[in-house]
Amino acid sequence: MNIIKKSAAVLAAVLIGAVLSAQVPTGGVKGTVINRASRTPVEGANLVLKAGAVEIGTIKTDAQGNFLLESLADGMYDLIIEAPGYLPTTVNVTVNDGYVKNMYNLSLSPSIISNEVDDSSFGEFDLDGNGYEDTPTILYDQNDVFNNAASYNFSAVRFKVRGYASESQDVYVAGVKMNDALTGYSPYSLWSGLNEATRSKASVIGSEISPYGIGGYNGLTNIYGTPGQVRPGKRFSVLTNSALYRLRLMGTYAAPENDNGWSYAVSASARLGGNDWVQGVYYRSFAYYLGVEKNWGDVHRLALVTFGAPGQRGAQNASTQEVYDLMGDNMYNSNWGYQNGKMRNARNRITFEPITFLKYDFTPSKELEASATLLFRTGKNGYTALDWYDAPDPRPDYYRNLPSYYYMPNEDYNRLNPQKAAWAREAWQTHQASTAHVDWDRFYYVNRNSEGGRSKYALEERHVDQNDLNLATSLKWRPNPNTILTAGFNAKYNKTEYYKSINDLLGGEYFLDVDQFAERDYSSSAIRVQNDLDYYLGHGEARKVKVGDKYGYDYFANLVKGELWATGKFAFGGLDVTVGGRLGTSTFWREGMVRKGLFPGLDDNGQPIMIGDDIYTTYDQDGNPITSKGPSERKFFTTYAGKVNVAYSLAGGHRFFANAGYFSDSPYFDKSFVAPRTRNTYIHKLDDVKSLSADVNYMYASNGYSLRLTGFYTNIADQTDVMSVYYDLNNSFGNFALSGIDERHVGMELGFEVPTPLSGLSVVGVFTTGEYVYTSTPLLTATVDNSAEPIYDEIPVSYWKGTPMTDGTTQKHYVPSTPQLAASLGLSYFYNYWFIDADVDYFANSYLDMSPLSRTDYATAGPDGVITPEEVEAMTRQEKFDPAWLVNFSVGKSWYYKRKYQYGFSLNAKNILNKTDVKTGGFEQTRMVDNTVSKSRYYNFDPKYFYMQGFNYMLNLYFRF
Amino acid sequence: MKKIFYSIAVILSLVAVSCEEWEPVFGNQGEPDVSTPQTQQVNTTIAQLKALYDGKPLHIDNDLVIGGKIISSDASGNIYRSLYIQDETGAIEVKIGNSGLYNDYKPGQMLYVKCQGLVLGNYGGMLQIGTDDPTGEYETAYIDVKSLISSHIFKGEAGSPVTPQVVSEDELKSAIKLGYKSPYFGKLVTLNNLTYAKEIFVLIYLNSNLDKKASSNRLFLSDQQWGVDTWAFSANKMKEYLLSGVWNSAKIGNSGDYNYGTVEDAFKVLYENAAAYAVSQYFKMPGGTEVQVRSSGYAKFSDQKIDSRILSGDSRINLTGILTNYNGAAQFTLIDLDGVKITN
Repeated sequence: MNIIKKSAAVLAAVLIGAVLSAQVPTGGVKGTVINRASRTPVEGANLVLKAGAVEIGTIKTDAQGNFLLESLADGMYDLIIEAPGYLPTTVNVTVNDGYVKNMYNLSLSPSIISNEVDDSSFGEFDLDGNGYEDTPTILYDQNDVFNNAASYNFSAVRFKVRGYASESQDVYVAGVKMNDALTGYSPYSLWSGLNEATRSKASVIGSEISPYGIGGYNGLTNIYGTPGQVRPGKRFSVLTNSALYRLRLMGTYAAPENDNGWSYAVSASARLGGNDWVQGVYYRSFAYYLGVEKNWGDVHRLALVTFGAPGQRGAQNASTQEVYDLMGDNMYNSNWGYQNGKMRNARNRITFEPITFLKYDFTPSKELEASATLLFRTGKNGYTALDWYDAPDPRPDYYRNLPSYYYMPNEDYNRLNPQKAAWAREAWQTHQASTAHVDWDRFYYVNRNSEGGRSKYALEERHVDQNDLNLATSLKWRPNPNTILTAGFNAKYNKTEYYKSINDLLGGEYFLDVDQFAERDYSSSAIRVQNDLDYYLGHGEARKVKVGDKYGYDYFANLVKGELWATGKFAFGGLDVTVGGRLGTSTFWREGMVRKGLFPGLDDNGQPIMIGDDIYTTYDQDGNPITSKGPSERKFFTTYAGKVNVAYSLAGGHRFFANAGYFSDSPYFDKSFVAPRTRNTYIHKLDDVKSLSADVNYMYASNGYSLRLTGFYTNIADQTDVMSVYYDLNNSFGNFALSGIDERHVGMELGFEVPTPLSGLSVVGVFTTGEYVYTSTPLLTATVDNSAEPIYDEIPVSYWKGTPMTDGTTQKHYVPSTPQLAASLGLSYFYNYWFIDADVDYFANSYLDMSPLSRTDYATAGPDGVITPEEVEAMTRQEKFDPAWLVNFSVGKSWYYKRKYQYGFSLNAKNILNKTDVKTGGFEQTRMVDNTVSKSRYYNFDPKYFYMQGFNYMLNLYFRF
Repeated sequence: MKKIFYSIAVILSLVAVSCEEWEPVFGNQGEPDVSTPQTQQVNTTIAQLKALYDGKPLHIDNDLVIGGKIISSDASGNIYRSLYIQDETGAIEVKIGNSGLYNDYKPGQMLYVKCQGLVLGNYGGMLQIGTDDPTGEYETAYIDVKSLISSHIFKGEAGSPVTPQVVSEDELKSAIKLGYKSPYFGKLVTLNNLTYAKEIFVLIYLNSNLDKKASSNRLFLSDQQWGVDTWAFSANKMKEYLLSGVWNSAKIGNSGDYNYGTVEDAFKVLYENAAAYAVSQYFKMPGGTEVQVRSSGYAKFSDQKIDSRILSGDSRINLTGILTNYNGAAQFTLIDLDGVKITN
């Protein structure tokens, strides 16, 4: 692994000496500089060798963290190691008998103690397909002065780097891209709880080119994942925190390579309990990691690893401000209630998706490295939710349960009963369980008394069960010290089943598999209401489903991808130029497993479905049968990208670099069908997503000073989005498909660390601001699950990118759910294994996620069909959240015992001012009040919000031996 | 070393502080007990309560408690947001304004209503228990707030369903004469030997988003059958009727103001705004007394074809359902189609 390689620069004096004389000293010193925390190599660390006060010269480590100083005379030297983001270290080196002294691993401590990025850094919100996806972005590159501080200090407000969506961040394990094949989401939860085993990683930011692939415009992180990369030794930790779960236990053992070349590592953890802020949210999550690796003489290496995070956890839900105010709690969670006097959450994520990979590395020479990884992900991913048939909506914060449904001061709402509003208000304010929480006992009452034991309320489990097979190969060749050529091939086959099953019948005997929304429209047609028409035709009745049975919908997503990529890195003196490109294809299709009564398509012989005298097959505008069962048409996409990185380093720790890239990627499967639950119909305008990104950077690192300044520009064009919402104008599940969404992200990032005269104390600051805006007028196609006819067919979302205000100005519309201005200033103190961190953070310019429906001409026109400037402003303006201040504090210390054991603690206190009024996100409901008195306009439903938690602590105790 | 274990012990003891947060972790909630019926001491009969009504909404301030067996169900969707209860003295509509009431309230089950704070009112000749409607548009408003229901409505013990009372034509005539004071209204009754009168009544709005009172926005289908052979119609069924042309000659507008063309002229707007509508299908008692069987367009049986033997007038039927009164006309509300029996 540790291929010792000559560095590009050697001591000038020694060089001269080499030319002039054959009597060059043969002694030297070599080694590898690594990050003490992550055990990963530190590239570009500056080493200064001194003999007494005389500087013999300097050298930088290569990409593997290696260095070699040759031609040293015997003697005692001081080797001073410095790297951006690390505390400087001095080691003594003795060269004798003309040998090259191998220092092996020289570890550097990050100058800012990176607080553990863990689940506790962000809440988890699982939302009911309302189009709002809450996927936190984790900044992986802890060595970067900006990311290091931002990743921890900004996580509380769900900061997104440069305003980019989470799926733009590439995350690899052992060289395989792990982003969800169908949604692109960062797959962090697959290894949550395995912090120790996945700590070792390498990252690039922005459009930099990674050794592991071309990536996109939002960085690439590769988690090594092999046992040889897990820090050797035993480690055990106990963690308690108030933000998500009460208790975490984690144990890890990694055996370093033995004489036969074997090494192995095991890790396991449990995360259990609730938290201080959100009732009903809990963890019952476990994780394991098993890895074994064999090394044959540093030429062949084979690693077999399997890991997984089985478990269950309860989710939080967003509510309107009215509900939060009634409960006196911005952390109110509508997902739970009492069953038999005990707390039960209706929204539980139940997952077990183990990952197994086999990685082979071949290193025949110092100049050539090759590797291949075969990785398989499988398992179950379920999410429970209440389902009900012809019974009142059981969600406590359903709008008809709120005072505002009975009384609104604005008479145009036609809500004029203040007495009823008072009854509702009192029930909420006194936290009456049957009003403020899910009433589980009532479900049992209803189901037990239901005719024939038919459950009217049930707990469904929505599954997205993946089978994901990957092959990633790469080859790295260094033809000369100034050139690195890398190439690779990646392939992916994904087959994912989407279905729902019964999790709990709640006291009943069965649930009937019919479409109650279709039943409303086709009450007299037993055919059209069937979710599984083939079963109905075979048995003469709708299917009665029991616990574990699939029902409702069942389809596969199929995806096949292949990609070739290559990069070349060329050094010309202080100038490094890297170019790279990738070219690939992507194919996907849907395959329905059940024939739905509303969209039966054609029979096995290609004939329309005819039952009795009636033809049930329906056709779209193009004359194609609307099909629920069987394979859809296949869509093919060609994907490609090109990148250029240029970097120039100056003496004294200055570095300038610039990156540019152009990317053309296929749309994601989950954003390509108008109503994937029920039919094979694609969005009309399914385009490649095209992005252009560029950034310029200046870095400085010397004498404890560290700085990065970046300016960036990114344009993303032709994105699609599909939101699935309950659409009550049609009393049905609706699908809002948006196409042609363009965004522009322009901004800057600054991170700095400045030492103070007091040893160990430095000032750390980060600042980022930008403008992340929508720049196009997308087209909206709205359909409902139970009707073939679109409600709206490619109508423009006229006010998506801005609102013309009544005062004549125009309000721009922004990419939501992240502060577009974030700053942090803090002090960091490190002395004698103590660290103390304190910082003040400021966030501003965060915006609410927008509903496309209310930004159409239809919504602004209202029932009378007349668009007025007042309606436009009221319906389409975007809410901007208030700015927020935060104060955080951390302290930690570690001790050594008998030089063999190490133990320590870290205590983090977040949001010390206990602010509970900071909105971190939310979304507008795709609902409008349409039965107004005046009949001249609509009103938007109140938006739903997420708030930041108040004061939180996290205490971690650890023990290593 | 000791320090660490001591600290772990401290943490674990802290962790155990809140039991409630661990309940979902262990997930052992167990099934709730079978709930026991709620009972209330009845101090007023339904007839006594109804007798208190004197022509205007009565806000009940006394602690009056009535009790009766549930005689209706909204399972078919024909009765919506209401329950009828009946005791030995009479029956009354309780406006519990939720959908899917049949899930919680079963025919034959006792229901108690604590009337204090509620309002007794009249709608078209039917007395109802509801809550205050401050707008004055109706005499009562729906009891639909959860806490309002739970503090006034109590589910009693289950029991056998009430046997419908056979009402003769003479009794029906006198009930119509008596209006809301008649004990028959609101009761579960059977009317025997009716024949189809080949006449319907339905009021359709061209665009329900516009002024519903405007003559130009109204279409009455009345005085004949208009080809409507279903109990009512859903939006899809309305489209079928429109497409079939059976309504083409019907005139838009209020009676005496037919200046807005015909259905044929307004086809497009009617088709686009098609919705579910309630229909009155007219029947006659043997002595000629008219009974309007009024069914909701949202009833599950709304689009079901009425048996052709009934439509042709060849067959007589017995109807079982809730006898209602709408502005002096006998209306009949089917609970479901089991209430229609062909006698010959």
